[in-house]
Amino acid sequence: MAQKEFSVVGKRITRIDAYERVTGQAQYTGDIQLAGMLYARLLRSPHPHARVVSIDTSKAEKLAGVKAVIHHQNAQVPWASGGHTHRRYIFNNPVRFVGDAVAAVAATDRHIAEEALGLIEVKYEKLPHVLDPNEALKPGAPKISTDGNLSVGKGNFSAPIAEQWGDLEKGFKEADRIFEDTYISKHVNNAQLEPRASVAKWEGGKLTVWASTQGVSNARTDIAKDLGLPLSKVRVICKYMGAGFGNKNQAQDYDLMAAVLAKVTGQPVKVEFTREDDFIGMHGRWASEQHYKIGVKRDGTITAVELDAVTNVGAYRKQSGNLSGTDFYQIPNFKKVVKPVHTNTVVGANYRAPAYPQSVFGFASFLDQIAHEMGINPLEMFLKNRVRLYANKTPFTSNFLEECAVEGAKKVGWKEKWHKAGAAAGPKKHGIGMALGGYPFRPGLGAAAIRVNPDGTAHVLVGVTDIGTGAKTTMAIIAAEALGIPLNQIQLTNGDTDVTPYSVGESGSRTTPFTGPAVIAAAEDVRKLIFNVAAPQLKAKAEDLDLRDGKVFVKSNPSQSLPLGRAVARSGELIGRATTNPTFKGLAGKSFAAHFAEVEVDSRTGHVKITRYVAVHDSGTIINRLAAESQIKGGVVQGIGMALTEELLIDRFTAIPLNPSYRDAKVPTHLEVPEIEVVFIEHPDPYGPFGGKVVGEPPITPAVATVANAIFNATGKRIKELPITPDKILRAAQV
Amino acid sequence: MKSFENINVRSVKEAVGLLQKFNGEKKTAQVVSGGTELLQLMKERVATPQYLINLKTIPGLSYIKEERSGFRIGALTTLTEIEENKSVQEKLLFLSQAAGEAASPQLRNAGTIGGNICQRPFCWYFRSASFTCLRKGGELCYAVTGDSRFHAILGGGPSYIVHPSDMAPALIAFGARIKIAGPAGEKTIPLEKFFVLPQVDYKRENILQPGEIVTEIQIPHPRTGSKGFYHKVRERQAWDHPIVSVSTVLQAKDGTCQEARVVLGGVAPVPWRAAKAEAFLRGKKVDEAAARQAGEIALDGARPMKDNGYKVGLAKSLIQRALLASV
Ligand SMILES: Cc1cc2nc3c(=O)[nH]c(=O)nc-3n(C[C@H](O)[C@H](O)[C@H](O)COP(=O)(O)OP(=O)(O)OC[C@H]3O[C@@H](n4cnc5c(N)ncnc54)[C@H](O)[C@@H]3O)c2cc1C
Repeated sequence: MAQKEFSVVGKRITRIDAYERVTGQAQYTGDIQLAGMLYARLLRSPHPHARVVSIDTSKAEKLAGVKAVIHHQNAQVPWASGGHTHRRYIFNNPVRFVGDAVAAVAATDRHIAEEALGLIEVKYEKLPHVLDPNEALKPGAPKISTDGNLSVGKGNFSAPIAEQWGDLEKGFKEADRIFEDTYISKHVNNAQLEPRASVAKWEGGKLTVWASTQGVSNARTDIAKDLGLPLSKVRVICKYMGAGFGNKNQAQDYDLMAAVLAKVTGQPVKVEFTREDDFIGMHGRWASEQHYKIGVKRDGTITAVELDAVTNVGAYRKQSGNLSGTDFYQIPNFKKVVKPVHTNTVVGANYRAPAYPQSVFGFASFLDQIAHEMGINPLEMFLKNRVRLYANKTPFTSNFLEECAVEGAKKVGWKEKWHKAGAAAGPKKHGIGMALGGYPFRPGLGAAAIRVNPDGTAHVLVGVTDIGTGAKTTMAIIAAEALGIPLNQIQLTNGDTDVTPYSVGESGSRTTPFTGPAVIAAAEDVRKLIFNVAAPQLKAKAEDLDLRDGKVFVKSNPSQSLPLGRAVARSGELIGRATTNPTFKGLAGKSFAAHFAEVEVDSRTGHVKITRYVAVHDSGTIINRLAAESQIKGGVVQGIGMALTEELLIDRFTAIPLNPSYRDAKVPTHLEVPEIEVVFIEHPDPYGPFGGKVVGEPPITPAVATVANAIFNATGKRIKELPITPDKILRAAQV
Repeated sequence: MKSFENINVRSVKEAVGLLQKFNGEKKTAQVVSGGTELLQLMKERVATPQYLINLKTIPGLSYIKEERSGFRIGALTTLTEIEENKSVQEKLLFLSQAAGEAASPQLRNAGTIGGNICQRPFCWYFRSASFTCLRKGGELCYAVTGDSRFHAILGGGPSYIVHPSDMAPALIAFGARIKIAGPAGEKTIPLEKFFVLPQVDYKRENILQPGEIVTEIQIPHPRTGSKGFYHKVRERQAWDHPIVSVSTVLQAKDGTCQEARVVLGGVAPVPWRAAKAEAFLRGKKVDEAAARQAGEIALDGARPMKDNGYKVGLAKSLIQRALLASV
């Protein structure tokens, strides 16, 4: 499909709601004010593991303005978010990490609510705790879950995540050399700009929750289930959102707390998190310790990989805890065992491409190291071992990983710039590195409706929330393209379970592949209706008509035409709708990427300056070039933060997080980030909407390893534990 | 944040009077300038003053004046004003750079030089309401057993904070003086003498008594033939305190040092003047070997903790580099 065929798809389009967002007119959850609304604040556990012996709320309740205090004794509500539903409540006893919610207060203003927290008297009985996942697996370690510390997964039993194919033993026998090593990644917070907030209100037995969620439909399902309400008695709304990066999927405990507080007080309640609440009370990316055994032929071809890993999912299992960074390599014989482990730390769960960047860091660093030890150029090593078949058996819907690597190498000047590791002279050492990445592109259930109005405009209804990715604009572009009307004639309503159709949830890079096809199908549906009503007016047959640029016309004679508005005028309005559920049989989908970075490492100070960054992506057709480039850049920035500075530090004795803030957790600033050059290798995928695959999650996946490999190329020292801070670089230089 | 009463004052005298009055009534009162640092502590409920005395409403306390004897900078002058002042840029070697690398642009626009010098530690144990550390009336300096990667390697004990100000070491390298107003009138002392080691008093960072406020910083012109060097090492290039910083001012003739000032930031509970290294340099030809030795001497006696040993080598190499760049 050539680009020229499109009228809107593929252009650089500013967001349809950019004006509202930058002028402050957009109403985020925290901006919502309702008559009689109360404000709530949370009390969190100061202990990593303790039984709550008693809670005395009498003093707090006496404070003028306090309307309700809830805790595990008077609000036993299960919290099932994420599908790993085991025995978690909105308030737990025992509490299992510093930051576990103990109570919530609703008051007439937020200062009173905060003041009241200090008046709640909680007696704790401290229990032994464990912070390190390896320690947690030892017999005799404090038990965090009654099932033991190896986490209970979706299957409802404690078991590692295991995957295997080929014949491992044979693979290692075929190898000329076998390498073994361990790589470590740390807990990093999603650090999304908008802190969490929720507003709940009851009206005639029906609950409305304004949530900052990445999925109104599944938030509704969760809330209804957890509160024991019929689905139809819950409405979830999310119009504007300031990002989540995976930590606002579904409904969260505080949505339920707001609902309970609103119920007991009979007044609407708003809960808002502080930044500290956000860092310590919800979740970040699971930390990992990855032990690899890799067999390779003399020429660098991988014959076998064995990965034995533990991941730290914290006190509760919310998501898989898996590691998937080996996905981008062709591995004939493979075995993976990943143990998601409970510790008395904040939960490790979804953060943009949950199982990838930490795991790509480990595997692509090790591959780069092996290339170094075998005297092979890393580019050759990565190209040689790039994935052709998913899990060594399934073909991809499309795969241009090779082109990504080749084009990127050309653009960055790999041939001229790559040198032996640590070979640069002088105190400021140049380095160049690369890694491969990507993210699954999956098809699935989507729904959309389109109303065509008698003024020739169209109103698109989709359930998707716009978590900051520009999803509203993407859906409007797809609708404009599929309908044949200009983009500025499209209005869009999204994210309201009472109004908009079902959406799966805006996570896992599912928004465009799931809902995009439904928008196209809804457009096709309404086009049929339009042609039916236009046919008599144009004295032609419906099947001979087309619609483009807002005009209905006869295909064989385009001058015989009608403005869309006129065609629809006497119908009141026309409504098209569709629910789609495409599949690809026997195929796997993936967006691919190859990233390249150049760095300058000051060997005297350990300072790393990234001087150039090239990100090449195969995401099929690009639907909105501007939004896609922003997605790539944002992902790279997060990868740079994870590579160089970010880590949530936990004090080893008290288990209290030491740096729960933007400043101290060291989220990167503009000065850490070079201009990021984005290149799209654009071949339409036969299964994606207008040929598009996914863009949201791929860019963070190779970024950490890319930076780490560039640092190795500069210094000749391999740092196997994230983040690669100056102290680690200086220490490595001394040995 | 605990609720408090804000009082806008019109003069230094009024501020001093109010501080004295509240102190006498056993009420907690604190002065506030830009509020960038203090309000953060109040949000964390580490500081819970009943009264804030707002100095910002005092007219005439924000200025940069160049006089024959040197510069005078009013306590309410913002870091951005210092960074952008033309004369400071031309004559005070690296002071503009030090101001421009502190904190972040937003904080520098609001944060004042007075507040910068009086800011409290950024140690994570001190800043968190969850730890009642030594400096907050507790019994432990948590850095001793906890995470000490950013803590002191020199002058520590029983508290191991590092002084957070980027301005103070730079100013001390210039031989700056600080003017203090109090119930007993005004006094001007060398800035270096303003700071207090924890072995003297581990609950305070400086000598200010209740009722005293900083009104001015005075900086003599660098002597002719002086060259300086400033470098701040940090994990992130903005919005980050130093891991180690170095400020050097060297007066040399034909490569031979006549007078040297070497001041480190980020290594000790006070801005750390390397007096022995300075003495060693006097009369020496400043070459690679001398610069290296000066670094060794400056860090002689460094006692790194569990996680901050890397600072020792870093400080040495920074001093070496600074000295070679200062001749
Ligand atoms: C996130 C963050 C990062 C920072 N990073 C850096 C950095 O990298 N380098 C650096 O040098 N600084 C840094 N700072 C400190 C910053 O420079 C200071 O916050 C600022 O200069 C303080 O000025 P202020 O006027 O806002 O002080 P305020 O917040 O008003 O006051 C700070 C303290 O000084 C006292 N005080 C204020 N004025 C006077 C006075 N005239 N006399 C006596 N006492 C007074 C107050 O009572 C209070 O205790 C950072 C601060 C923050 C919040």
